[in-house]
Amino acid sequence: MNDGASYLELSRRYGFAPKPESASRLTQLVSRQDADLDEIAKVINKDPSLRARLLRVANPDSENEAEFAIETVEDALMRSGMGCVLVLAMSTPLALALTKTFQTMLSLKLDAVDPRELTPLRGEHLLCNIDFSGKVVGNVLLRMSCESGRLIAAGILGAGIEELDDANEIRDVAGELLNIMTGNFKSNLCDAGLECKLSPPMVRNTSDFTPVGTRGGSLERMAFRTGNIQISVEVTANPWSND
Amino acid sequence: MATKILSVDDSRTIRMIVGRTFRPYDCQVCEAGNGEEGLAAAAREKPDLIILDVTMPVMDGVTMLSKLKEDPELKAIPVIMLTAESGRENVLQIAKLGVRDYLVKPFKEEQLIEKAGRIVTLQKKPAA
Repeated sequence: MNDGASYLELSRRYGFAPKPESASRLTQLVSRQDADLDEIAKVINKDPSLRARLLRVANPDSENEAEFAIETVEDALMRSGMGCVLVLAMSTPLALALTKTFQTMLSLKLDAVDPRELTPLRGEHLLCNIDFSGKVVGNVLLRMSCESGRLIAAGILGAGIEELDDANEIRDVAGELLNIMTGNFKSNLCDAGLECKLSPPMVRNTSDFTPVGTRGGSLERMAFRTGNIQISVEVTANPWSND
Repeated sequence: MATKILSVDDSRTIRMIVGRTFRPYDCQVCEAGNGEEGLAAAAREKPDLIILDVTMPVMDGVTMLSKLKEDPELKAIPVIMLTAESGRENVLQIAKLGVRDYLVKPFKEEQLIEKAGRIVTLQKKPAA
Protein backbone atom coordinates (compact mmCIF):
# COMPACT_ATOMS: atom_id res chain seq x y z
CA MET A 1 0.00 0.00 0.00
CA ASN A 2 1.19 3.55 -0.68
CA ASP A 3 2.50 5.01 2.53
CA GLY A 4 1.88 8.54 1.30
CA ALA A 5 5.14 8.52 -0.65
CA SER A 6 5.68 11.23 -3.23
CA TYR A 7 6.22 10.46 -6.91
CA LEU A 8 9.93 11.09 -6.48
CA GLU A 9 10.14 8.63 -3.59
CA LEU A 10 8.17 6.03 -5.54
CA SER A 11 10.41 6.57 -8.61
CA ARG A 12 13.44 5.77 -6.43
CA ARG A 13 11.74 2.83 -4.72
CA TYR A 14 10.75 1.25 -8.05
CA GLY A 15 14.07 2.12 -9.72
CA PHE A 16 12.69 4.28 -12.56
CA ALA A 17 15.26 5.66 -14.98
CA PRO A 18 15.43 9.47 -14.89
CA LYS A 19 13.43 11.19 -17.63
CA PRO A 20 15.20 13.42 -20.18
CA GLU A 21 15.23 16.79 -18.45
CA SER A 22 15.17 19.08 -21.49
CA ALA A 23 12.23 17.20 -23.05
CA SER A 24 10.25 17.31 -19.78
CA ARG A 25 11.00 21.01 -19.30
CA LEU A 26 10.08 21.79 -22.89
CA THR A 27 6.79 19.90 -22.68
CA GLN A 28 5.93 21.80 -19.49
CA LEU A 29 6.71 25.13 -21.16
CA VAL A 30 4.73 24.36 -24.31
CA SER A 31 1.76 23.09 -22.31
CA ARG A 32 1.31 26.65 -21.07
CA GLN A 33 -0.44 28.54 -23.81
CA ASP A 34 1.31 31.75 -22.77
CA ALA A 35 4.73 30.12 -23.05
CA ASP A 36 7.62 32.53 -23.37
CA LEU A 37 9.57 32.04 -26.62
CA ASP A 38 12.83 33.22 -25.03
CA GLU A 39 12.51 30.66 -22.25
CA ILE A 40 11.82 27.90 -24.79
CA ALA A 41 14.74 29.04 -26.94
CA LYS A 42 17.02 28.87 -23.89
CA VAL A 43 16.08 25.23 -23.20
CA ILE A 44 16.55 24.23 -26.85
CA ASN A 45 19.86 26.07 -27.20
CA LYS A 46 21.23 24.08 -24.23
CA ASP A 47 20.50 20.75 -25.93
CA PRO A 48 22.49 20.33 -29.19
CA SER A 49 20.37 17.44 -30.43
CA LEU A 50 17.08 19.32 -29.89
CA ARG A 51 18.58 22.38 -31.57
CA ALA A 52 19.69 20.37 -34.62
CA ARG A 53 16.27 18.72 -34.91
CA LEU A 54 14.40 22.02 -34.66
CA LEU A 55 16.56 23.58 -37.37
CA ARG A 56 16.02 20.53 -39.58
CA VAL A 57 12.24 20.80 -39.15
CA ALA A 58 12.36 24.55 -39.84
CA ASN A 59 14.35 23.98 -43.06
CA PRO A 60 12.42 21.09 -44.61
CA ASP A 61 13.74 21.61 -48.15
CA SER A 62 17.43 21.90 -47.27
CA GLU A 63 19.65 18.92 -48.03
CA ASN A 64 22.18 19.80 -45.31
CA GLU A 65 23.04 22.39 -42.67
CA ALA A 66 25.02 24.54 -45.12
CA GLU A 67 21.77 25.17 -47.03
CA PHE A 68 19.74 26.21 -43.98
CA ALA A 69 17.99 29.54 -44.58
CA ILE A 70 16.85 29.63 -40.94
CA GLU A 71 19.93 29.37 -38.76
CA THR A 72 18.90 30.35 -35.25
CA VAL A 73 16.59 28.68 -32.75
CA GLU A 74 14.71 31.94 -32.26
CA ASP A 75 13.95 32.29 -36.01
CA ALA A 76 13.03 28.61 -36.23
CA LEU A 77 10.57 29.02 -33.34
CA MET A 78 8.96 32.06 -34.98
CA ARG A 79 8.57 30.18 -38.23
CA SER A 80 7.55 26.74 -36.99
CA GLY A 81 5.40 27.60 -33.98
CA MET A 82 4.62 25.83 -30.72
CA GLY A 83 3.15 22.73 -32.31
CA CYS A 84 6.54 21.99 -33.77
CA VAL A 85 8.27 22.44 -30.40
CA LEU A 86 5.80 20.09 -28.78
CA VAL A 87 6.45 17.44 -31.44
CA LEU A 88 10.18 17.80 -30.80
CA ALA A 89 9.68 17.46 -27.06
CA MET A 90 7.42 14.44 -27.56
CA SER A 91 9.76 12.76 -30.00
CA THR A 92 12.64 12.75 -27.52
CA PRO A 93 11.17 10.19 -25.07
CA LEU A 94 9.81 8.27 -28.05
CA ALA A 95 13.25 7.95 -29.63
CA LEU A 96 14.86 7.14 -26.27
CA ALA A 97 12.29 4.40 -25.59
CA LEU A 98 12.90 2.87 -29.02
CA THR A 99 16.69 2.82 -28.66
CA LYS A 100 16.40 1.54 -25.07
CA THR A 101 14.06 -1.25 -26.18
CA PHE A 102 16.62 -2.40 -28.74
CA GLN A 103 19.39 -2.17 -26.16
CA THR A 104 17.58 -3.99 -23.34
CA MET A 105 15.46 -6.52 -25.23
CA LEU A 106 17.61 -7.18 -28.31
CA SER A 107 21.11 -6.20 -27.11
CA LEU A 108 21.41 -4.08 -30.26
CA LYS A 109 22.61 -0.51 -30.58
CA LEU A 110 20.06 1.37 -32.65
CA ASP A 111 21.37 4.56 -34.26
CA ALA A 112 19.28 7.60 -35.06
CA VAL A 113 20.04 8.62 -38.65
CA ASP A 114 18.85 11.26 -41.08
CA PRO A 115 15.59 9.96 -42.61
CA ARG A 116 17.08 10.54 -46.06
CA GLU A 117 19.80 7.96 -45.31
CA LEU A 118 17.34 5.05 -45.15
CA THR A 119 16.83 2.84 -48.18
CA PRO A 120 13.31 3.80 -49.32
CA LEU A 121 10.65 1.19 -48.56
CA ARG A 122 9.01 -0.38 -51.60
CA GLY A 123 5.94 -2.59 -51.84
CA GLU A 124 4.52 -4.45 -48.88
CA HIS A 125 5.77 -3.35 -45.49
CA LEU A 126 4.66 -3.22 -41.85
CA LEU A 127 2.72 -0.16 -40.75
CA CYS A 128 2.04 0.40 -37.03
CA ASN A 129 -0.07 3.29 -35.83
CA ILE A 130 -1.18 4.64 -32.46
CA ASP A 131 -3.49 7.65 -32.18
CA PHE A 132 -3.60 9.85 -29.13
CA SER A 133 -6.36 12.20 -28.11
CA GLY A 134 -7.02 14.60 -25.27
CA LYS A 135 -5.28 17.93 -24.73
CA VAL A 136 -3.04 16.96 -27.66
CA VAL A 137 -4.29 15.14 -30.72
CA GLY A 138 -2.01 13.25 -33.04
CA ASN A 139 -0.48 9.97 -33.94
CA VAL A 140 2.73 8.00 -34.01
CA LEU A 141 3.47 5.95 -37.06
CA LEU A 142 6.14 3.36 -37.47
CA ARG A 143 7.05 1.78 -40.80
CA MET A 144 9.53 -1.00 -41.46
CA SER A 145 10.14 -3.63 -44.10
CA CYS A 146 8.64 -7.08 -43.53
CA GLU A 147 12.21 -8.38 -43.21
CA SER A 148 13.02 -5.81 -40.48
CA GLY A 149 9.82 -6.88 -38.69
CA ARG A 150 10.89 -10.55 -38.85
CA LEU A 151 14.38 -9.76 -37.54
CA ILE A 152 13.00 -7.73 -34.62
CA ALA A 153 10.40 -10.39 -33.75
CA ALA A 154 13.00 -13.17 -33.91
CA GLY A 155 15.30 -11.18 -31.60
CA ILE A 156 12.64 -10.27 -29.03
CA LEU A 157 11.01 -13.72 -29.00
CA GLY A 158 14.38 -15.47 -28.96
CA ALA A 159 13.37 -17.53 -31.99
CA GLY A 160 15.26 -18.43 -35.16
CA ILE A 161 14.13 -16.32 -38.11
CA GLU A 162 13.13 -19.47 -40.00
CA GLU A 163 10.83 -20.49 -37.14
CA LEU A 164 8.76 -17.32 -37.53
CA ASP A 165 6.06 -18.22 -39.99
CA ASP A 166 3.14 -16.59 -38.20
CA ALA A 167 2.51 -13.05 -39.48
CA ASN A 168 0.37 -12.35 -36.40
CA GLU A 169 3.35 -13.02 -34.16
CA ILE A 170 5.48 -10.50 -36.08
CA ARG A 171 2.68 -7.92 -35.98
CA ASP A 172 2.19 -8.45 -32.22
CA VAL A 173 5.88 -7.74 -31.57
CA ALA A 174 5.76 -4.61 -33.77
CA GLY A 175 2.63 -3.44 -31.93
CA GLU A 176 4.27 -3.98 -28.54
CA LEU A 177 7.35 -2.06 -29.70
CA LEU A 178 5.12 0.89 -30.56
CA ASN A 179 3.22 0.45 -27.27
CA ILE A 180 6.44 0.71 -25.28
CA MET A 181 7.53 3.81 -27.21
CA THR A 182 4.24 5.64 -26.88
CA GLY A 183 3.66 4.64 -23.24
CA ASN A 184 6.88 6.41 -22.34
CA PHE A 185 6.04 9.59 -24.23
CA LYS A 186 2.45 9.61 -22.93
CA SER A 187 3.86 9.70 -19.38
CA ASN A 188 5.91 12.76 -20.33
CA LEU A 189 2.88 14.54 -21.82
CA CYS A 190 0.61 13.72 -18.86
CA ASP A 191 3.26 14.89 -16.37
CA ALA A 192 3.30 18.25 -18.18
CA GLY A 193 -0.48 18.58 -17.83
CA LEU A 194 -1.26 17.49 -21.39
CA GLU A 195 -3.40 14.49 -20.46
CA CYS A 196 -4.17 12.22 -23.37
CA LYS A 197 -5.33 8.71 -24.11
CA LEU A 198 -3.73 6.26 -26.50
CA SER A 199 -5.58 4.02 -28.92
CA PRO A 200 -4.58 0.37 -29.11
CA PRO A 201 -1.82 -0.14 -31.70
CA MET A 202 -3.04 -0.92 -35.22
CA VAL A 203 -0.55 -3.04 -37.12
CA ARG A 204 -0.99 -4.21 -40.70
CA ASN A 205 0.91 -5.28 -43.76
CA THR A 206 0.32 -2.74 -46.49
CA SER A 207 1.71 -1.38 -49.75
CA ASP A 208 0.04 1.97 -49.16
CA PHE A 209 2.36 4.91 -48.47
CA THR A 210 -0.35 7.56 -48.02
CA PRO A 211 0.55 9.78 -45.03
CA VAL A 212 -1.60 9.05 -41.96
CA GLY A 213 -0.79 12.27 -40.04
CA THR A 214 -3.22 14.50 -38.17
CA ARG A 215 -4.61 17.33 -40.28
CA GLY A 216 -3.09 20.68 -39.42
CA GLY A 217 -0.58 19.12 -37.05
CA SER A 218 3.17 19.54 -36.89
CA LEU A 219 5.21 16.61 -38.10
CA GLU A 220 8.62 15.20 -37.26
CA ARG A 221 10.18 12.34 -39.17
CA MET A 222 12.84 10.21 -37.50
CA ALA A 223 14.82 7.25 -38.76
CA PHE A 224 16.77 4.50 -37.02
CA ARG A 225 19.10 1.79 -38.20
CA THR A 226 21.02 -1.19 -36.90
CA GLY A 227 22.47 -3.82 -39.22
CA ASN A 228 19.76 -4.81 -41.70
CA ILE A 229 16.98 -3.32 -39.58
CA GLN A 230 15.61 0.07 -40.62
CA ILE A 231 12.72 1.85 -38.93
CA SER A 232 11.08 5.12 -39.86
CA VAL A 233 8.95 6.98 -37.33
CA GLU A 234 6.55 9.87 -37.90
CA VAL A 235 5.07 11.88 -35.06
CA THR A 236 2.22 14.29 -35.77
CA ALA A 237 0.68 16.45 -33.08
CA ASN A 238 -1.84 19.20 -32.92
CA PRO A 239 -1.78 20.82 -29.46
CA TRP A 240 -4.69 22.64 -27.95
CA SER A 241 -6.92 21.08 -30.58
CA ASN A 242 -9.89 21.01 -28.24
CA ASP A 243 -9.81 24.72 -27.50
CA MET B 1 5.31 -26.98 -4.92
CA ALA B 2 5.87 -24.77 -7.97
CA THR B 3 5.41 -21.02 -7.53
CA LYS B 4 2.34 -19.93 -9.47
CA ILE B 5 2.64 -16.70 -11.47
CA LEU B 6 -0.15 -15.01 -13.44
CA SER B 7 0.86 -12.77 -16.35
CA VAL B 8 -1.88 -10.33 -17.42
CA ASP B 9 -1.04 -8.47 -20.62
CA ASP B 10 -2.85 -7.97 -23.92
CA SER B 11 0.42 -8.48 -25.79
CA ARG B 12 1.20 -12.09 -26.61
CA THR B 13 4.82 -10.98 -26.95
CA ILE B 14 5.04 -9.81 -23.34
CA ARG B 15 3.24 -12.90 -22.00
CA MET B 16 5.70 -15.03 -23.94
CA ILE B 17 8.69 -13.12 -22.55
CA VAL B 18 7.32 -13.44 -19.00
CA GLY B 19 6.85 -17.20 -19.51
CA ARG B 20 10.38 -17.53 -20.88
CA THR B 21 11.81 -15.49 -17.99
CA PHE B 22 10.51 -17.91 -15.37
CA ARG B 23 11.20 -21.11 -17.38
CA PRO B 24 14.50 -21.88 -15.59
CA TYR B 25 12.70 -21.74 -12.24
CA ASP B 26 10.25 -24.07 -10.57
CA CYS B 27 7.30 -21.90 -11.60
CA GLN B 28 3.97 -22.40 -13.26
CA VAL B 29 3.06 -19.39 -15.38
CA CYS B 30 -0.56 -18.85 -16.44
CA GLU B 31 -1.80 -16.08 -18.71
CA ALA B 32 -4.67 -13.68 -19.27
CA GLY B 33 -5.15 -11.14 -22.08
CA ASN B 34 -7.01 -8.42 -20.18
CA GLY B 35 -8.15 -7.39 -16.69
CA GLU B 36 -11.45 -9.25 -16.84
CA GLU B 37 -9.75 -12.52 -17.80
CA GLY B 38 -7.06 -11.70 -15.24
CA LEU B 39 -9.57 -11.47 -12.39
CA ALA B 40 -11.17 -14.76 -13.41
CA ALA B 41 -7.75 -16.43 -13.65
CA ALA B 42 -6.72 -15.00 -10.25
CA ALA B 43 -9.88 -16.42 -8.61
CA ARG B 44 -9.40 -19.79 -10.33
CA GLU B 45 -5.64 -20.24 -9.97
CA LYS B 46 -4.92 -18.33 -6.74
CA PRO B 47 -1.46 -17.35 -7.98
CA ASP B 48 1.45 -16.46 -5.67
CA LEU B 49 2.21 -13.38 -7.80
CA ILE B 50 0.48 -11.35 -10.53
CA ILE B 51 2.43 -9.46 -13.18
CA LEU B 52 0.05 -6.84 -14.53
CA ASP B 53 0.01 -4.48 -17.52
CA VAL B 54 -1.88 -1.14 -17.39
CA THR B 55 -3.28 -0.40 -20.85
CA MET B 56 -5.43 -3.30 -22.03
CA PRO B 57 -8.76 -3.63 -23.83
CA VAL B 58 -11.98 -4.77 -22.06
CA MET B 59 -10.62 -4.01 -18.56
CA ASP B 60 -7.40 -2.12 -17.89
CA GLY B 61 -4.83 -3.00 -15.26
CA VAL B 62 -5.77 -0.22 -12.84
CA THR B 63 -9.41 -1.38 -12.77
CA MET B 64 -8.33 -4.98 -12.34
CA LEU B 65 -6.01 -4.00 -9.49
CA SER B 66 -8.74 -2.06 -7.70
CA LYS B 67 -11.23 -4.97 -8.05
CA LEU B 68 -8.57 -7.41 -6.87
CA LYS B 69 -7.94 -5.31 -3.76
CA GLU B 70 -11.69 -5.15 -3.02
CA ASP B 71 -11.96 -8.94 -3.04
CA PRO B 72 -11.20 -10.45 0.39
CA GLU B 73 -10.16 -13.75 -1.25
CA LEU B 74 -7.70 -12.13 -3.66
CA LYS B 75 -6.48 -8.90 -2.08
CA ALA B 76 -3.41 -10.46 -0.48
CA ILE B 77 -1.97 -11.65 -3.82
CA PRO B 78 1.10 -9.48 -4.49
CA VAL B 79 1.18 -7.56 -7.77
CA ILE B 80 4.06 -6.23 -9.85
CA MET B 81 3.01 -3.70 -12.50
CA LEU B 82 4.77 -4.20 -15.83
CA THR B 83 3.96 -1.26 -18.08
CA ALA B 84 5.45 1.40 -20.34
CA GLU B 85 3.53 4.09 -18.47
CA SER B 86 5.25 5.74 -15.55
CA GLY B 87 3.45 9.08 -15.49
CA ARG B 88 3.06 10.72 -12.08
CA GLU B 89 -0.73 10.35 -11.71
CA ASN B 90 -0.72 6.74 -12.86
CA VAL B 91 2.06 5.73 -10.50
CA LEU B 92 0.54 7.53 -7.50
CA GLN B 93 -2.88 5.99 -8.15
CA ILE B 94 -1.44 2.50 -8.58
CA ALA B 95 0.75 2.80 -5.48
CA LYS B 96 -2.27 3.93 -3.49
CA LEU B 97 -4.24 0.87 -4.59
CA GLY B 98 -1.34 -1.28 -3.41
CA VAL B 99 1.35 -2.88 -5.54
CA ARG B 100 4.51 -4.56 -4.36
CA ASP B 101 6.66 -3.27 -7.20
CA TYR B 102 6.60 -1.51 -10.57
CA LEU B 103 8.72 -2.30 -13.64
CA VAL B 104 8.78 0.01 -16.63
CA LYS B 105 8.99 -1.45 -20.15
CA PRO B 106 11.37 -2.00 -21.85
CA PHE B 107 12.82 -4.34 -19.25
CA LYS B 108 15.51 -6.94 -18.90
CA GLU B 109 14.42 -10.42 -17.86
CA GLU B 110 16.92 -10.25 -14.97
CA GLN B 111 15.11 -7.18 -13.60
CA LEU B 112 11.82 -9.08 -13.50
CA ILE B 113 13.49 -12.05 -11.79
CA GLU B 114 15.11 -9.74 -9.25
CA LYS B 115 11.82 -8.00 -8.41
CA ALA B 116 9.81 -11.27 -8.34
CA GLY B 117 12.50 -12.97 -6.25
CA ARG B 118 12.01 -10.37 -3.51
CA ILE B 119 8.34 -11.40 -3.23
CA VAL B 120 8.14 -15.14 -3.96
CA THR B 121 10.51 -18.10 -3.76
CA LEU B 122 12.22 -18.74 -7.05
CA GLN B 123 13.90 -22.12 -7.01
CA LYS B 124 16.13 -22.91 -10.00
CA LYS B 125 15.14 -26.14 -11.75
CA PRO B 126 17.88 -28.77 -11.68
CA ALA B 127 19.84 -28.86 -14.94
CA ALA B 128 18.38 -31.51 -17.30
